Amino acid sequence: MHKAQFQSPLYPYLLLLPQMAIVAVFFLWPSAEAVRSSFFLQDPFFGNETFVGIDNYTDAVTRSDYGRAAWFTFLFTVVVTFFSLGIALLLAVAADNVLRGQGPYKTLLMWVYAIAPPVAGLIGIMLFDQHIGPIVDFVALFGWDMRVGVDYWDTGIAMMIVATWKQIPVNFIFFLSGLQSIPKGVREAASIDNPSPSGRFWTIIFPLLAPTSFFLMIINITYAFFETFGIVDVMLKGEPGNNPVTLVYKVFLDGFRGNDLGGSSAQSVILMVFVLALTIIQFRLIERRVHYT
Amino acid sequence: MWKTLLAASALALTTAAAQAEKIEIELWHAMGGALGEATNAVAEQFNASQDKYNLTPVYKGNYEETLTATIAAFRAGEQPNIVQVFDAGAATIIGAEGAVIPAQDLIENAGFEFGTDYIPGVANFYADENGKMVGMPFNSSTPILYYNVEALEEAGVEPPTTWEEFQEIAPALKEAGYVPMAQSHLPWIFTENFMSRHNLQFATNANGYEGAEGTELLINVEPIKAHFTAVKEWIDAGLFGYYGTGWGDNQAPFENGEVAMWLGSSGSFGGLKQSADFEFSATYLPYWEAVTEEPYNTFIGGAALFAMSGQPEEENEAAAAFFQFLSSPEPQVFWHKETGYVPITATAYELAKAEGYYDEEPAAEVGINQLQQPGGDWTKGYRMGFYVQIRDVMNREYGRIFSGEATVDEAFGIIEEEGNRLLERFAQTQSG
Amino acid sequence: MSQDQIAVTGKPAVPVARPASATGAGFGAFVRRHQIVEHIVLLFGVLLMMGPIAVAFTTSTHDPVTIHSEGMQLGFGDNFLPTYEAVIFEQTGFTKQVTGWGMSLNSLILGLGFAIGKIIVSMLAAYAIVYFRFPLGTLCFWVIFSTLLLPLEVRILPSYEVVQGLGLLNSYTGLILPLIASATGTFFFRQFFKSVPNELLEAARIDGAGPFRFFWDILVPLSRTMIAAIFIIMFVVGWNQYLWPILMTTDESFYTVVRGIRQILQVWIGADIPDYNEALGLAIIAMIPPVLIVIIFQRMFIKGLVESEK
Repeated sequence: MHKAQFQSPLYPYLLLLPQMAIVAVFFLWPSAEAVRSSFFLQDPFFGNETFVGIDNYTDAVTRSDYGRAAWFTFLFTVVVTFFSLGIALLLAVAADNVLRGQGPYKTLLMWVYAIAPPVAGLIGIMLFDQHIGPIVDFVALFGWDMRVGVDYWDTGIAMMIVATWKQIPVNFIFFLSGLQSIPKGVREAASIDNPSPSGRFWTIIFPLLAPTSFFLMIINITYAFFETFGIVDVMLKGEPGNNPVTLVYKVFLDGFRGNDLGGSSAQSVILMVFVLALTIIQFRLIERRVHYT
Repeated sequence: MWKTLLAASALALTTAAAQAEKIEIELWHAMGGALGEATNAVAEQFNASQDKYNLTPVYKGNYEETLTATIAAFRAGEQPNIVQVFDAGAATIIGAEGAVIPAQDLIENAGFEFGTDYIPGVANFYADENGKMVGMPFNSSTPILYYNVEALEEAGVEPPTTWEEFQEIAPALKEAGYVPMAQSHLPWIFTENFMSRHNLQFATNANGYEGAEGTELLINVEPIKAHFTAVKEWIDAGLFGYYGTGWGDNQAPFENGEVAMWLGSSGSFGGLKQSADFEFSATYLPYWEAVTEEPYNTFIGGAALFAMSGQPEEENEAAAAFFQFLSSPEPQVFWHKETGYVPITATAYELAKAEGYYDEEPAAEVGINQLQQPGGDWTKGYRMGFYVQIRDVMNREYGRIFSGEATVDEAFGIIEEEGNRLLERFAQTQSG
Repeated sequence: MSQDQIAVTGKPAVPVARPASATGAGFGAFVRRHQIVEHIVLLFGVLLMMGPIAVAFTTSTHDPVTIHSEGMQLGFGDNFLPTYEAVIFEQTGFTKQVTGWGMSLNSLILGLGFAIGKIIVSMLAAYAIVYFRFPLGTLCFWVIFSTLLLPLEVRILPSYEVVQGLGLLNSYTGLILPLIASATGTFFFRQFFKSVPNELLEAARIDGAGPFRFFWDILVPLSRTMIAAIFIIMFVVGWNQYLWPILMTTDESFYTVVRGIRQILQVWIGADIPDYNEALGLAIIAMIPPVLIVIIFQRMFIKGLVESEK
């Protein structure tokens, strides 16, 4: 389907001018600089450069912990995406069904959305403190000696929980809006076919939510990838040690913290290629949905 | 709201006008919380001590953020006059030749006399290979051993001076229901200062002071591997506690009385006084008698102030005046008492002593005395680039030793290999 | 989309009675029980989401030494007033002009400036991309699209140089503009505009409306809810910025709330106990403006998102 469009030689360029100017000045130029520097080793203060070809790339991927970080990033992304979507969907369905008190529930469930990631990390690490954290004390009742900061997977699990917690509200909002946009008629019709509420949900409602879910899945994957590093940084207290790190956090560690400009640029180019692939998929999905409107 | 803003800017304008004749300089620092307030106080004292210069301290985030902000600013010609850089970042800023004016040159160029009574363990760390001071030590501390007096009495033992002694007393402390010991920073205490304490070479090129080109870690050696083998055995036997890389995670069990002895910073006693409800005291960092008969001095951690190049002469003079003020006894003693960091000159130390400060706070003196112990060839410190990442590798591999994921040999092999790769890469950045 | 789905299911949308359950007498109980299940789920969700916040709040009312040695506190402490008074009004910093209130104001300016700026810029761009056919349209679109690929942290040094070159250090403009460069807003609007029925444009054309009038009189009012949704999302993003402001500003009058929280917490290795109470207190305060915005606009927000889902 083609959109009806205006024809004008000048208008579109004028309209695009602010965005394109900002993108060119504040994104394209600095980014080109960053991509270029992935082929150089650079003295940070003076910017003196030595061309090293793809050395920065081979160095990054051959370090002993790169594979482990990649594997953890994958698991972290899958777990955070799955649980933040699942819990949010459960809450959204429940909120959509209740007749009374929907407002307060909605408000309270969205609250966490406003928290800055480092603050979420701070609250998280205090709750998961290996000595005095209430959650650690709680799981100790079940015989789990959780040692966040010492044990690789205990730390990883704590990070996943906090990252999931921070992401639930966004998913909740999207799911709830998705549910509420399903007309009453459809639901009522559905209830004829399927007397059981769970059957009704899985056969009728869930398929209707599928586009929202796909869309959210991509949003969540990029969240777990890019936006969690504030949480990770605070929860690792800035010293990763033998604890899990995500690939983006590694870029941050080497570049921003360690001033290895070339090495971190190379790592981010690798990530960029990955995200590019992901966003293309995202696009196809969104476009397809728009088309059958 | 706008009124407040207007009023505030009007106020800023009038104060600016009043100070128009003064030479303005900026200091970027990474001191949050109470340390930030102490830094502000030192700046105020400097501004009040003379009427030519006005120093404005600016908090720029943590150490890494401050350094990165400085790099960005330097590249754009917006650098501050003075910046605080931490120990692990020293090679980055000193290696960038021409980015900083060595403190000694700055002070002498401004017509001041450069002091000679700096405490050796403090002054050498930020010096160049010829001993010229490049960074002015600002917040300096060194690792010492704190102990819970009651716990040691209960077990009927004395604080150890050597690791051999520790091995003897540790079972008694365990018997008494304590984890005998913990430490808070493996690279700083059990690596860098381990080397210095035993006068062992840490890296080629005179521990890296002679330049980045060809500098290699000499860490895959028997004494330190034997130490980590011992620590791993202690951990397995319940004689040592390892609580991860977080500083506070290792300090907390000492504070709540689970751990009897804790290796921390000479500046830590201020925080301990607030949080520990038992009597504690401090002594020197233990050493292996098997490696050295007499211990050598440790060196400092913390950060130093660097004067950035590319500033007008008069502002350099202002920075020199501030360095001069900062190293004079009264501000040093103020800073020492306020923050727990060691004074950097012998005169300041004598002044604090004369004031009876160490009678009140015996723990405050331990670090200074340890820094003044005899030095050797390898006790100045180290100068290695990408050292933040090297410390990350160490922390990771040490963690793997203690969790049983790697043997001591494997872990040190990886530290050596990856550390040297980082050093080689750093050397390449310097040669461009 | 939903309308299509009705056609697909092919069922008439007529109200029908719910089928009675097998145990006829238990029907009411059945329904009630179900509502109870849902309330339990929701209450559990609220506990999960709000529990940590509530604990952060109660903890902030204790003194720092208690928090340091005993951890988070479930009960209410007796340090509420001093903590919050200090957090909001205490004048800190070298200039003694930094207060929680002042920092919040800066965060507010950053959040508002970013959200508003982004909406204007990205709406115009999306309008051009969707409603005009022009040679460079696709190229422009992909260029904007590429901004999603490289986070600011990676290009932070060159970005700083650009901003400095334009003389924008220590200014709100310099703080806000580089953040606007990312494309998210443009995509949301593009997606929304694409879902606007063609008939509207055709009708407008018959009425003789030009591109400007169509945009202003039809598209903008139609996008109100979408604007609200994006406003909230972007406001929160702007409000929570940390790295960029700390790099960009040296003047204490530009300090933001998140920077304030980090500064309180950042105490060097054991020399001091951080003022956890103040950090958490400031974190609670820092939550209020975005939460208020989310609450106040949530109806619009959900509605806006619903429309974008079409």
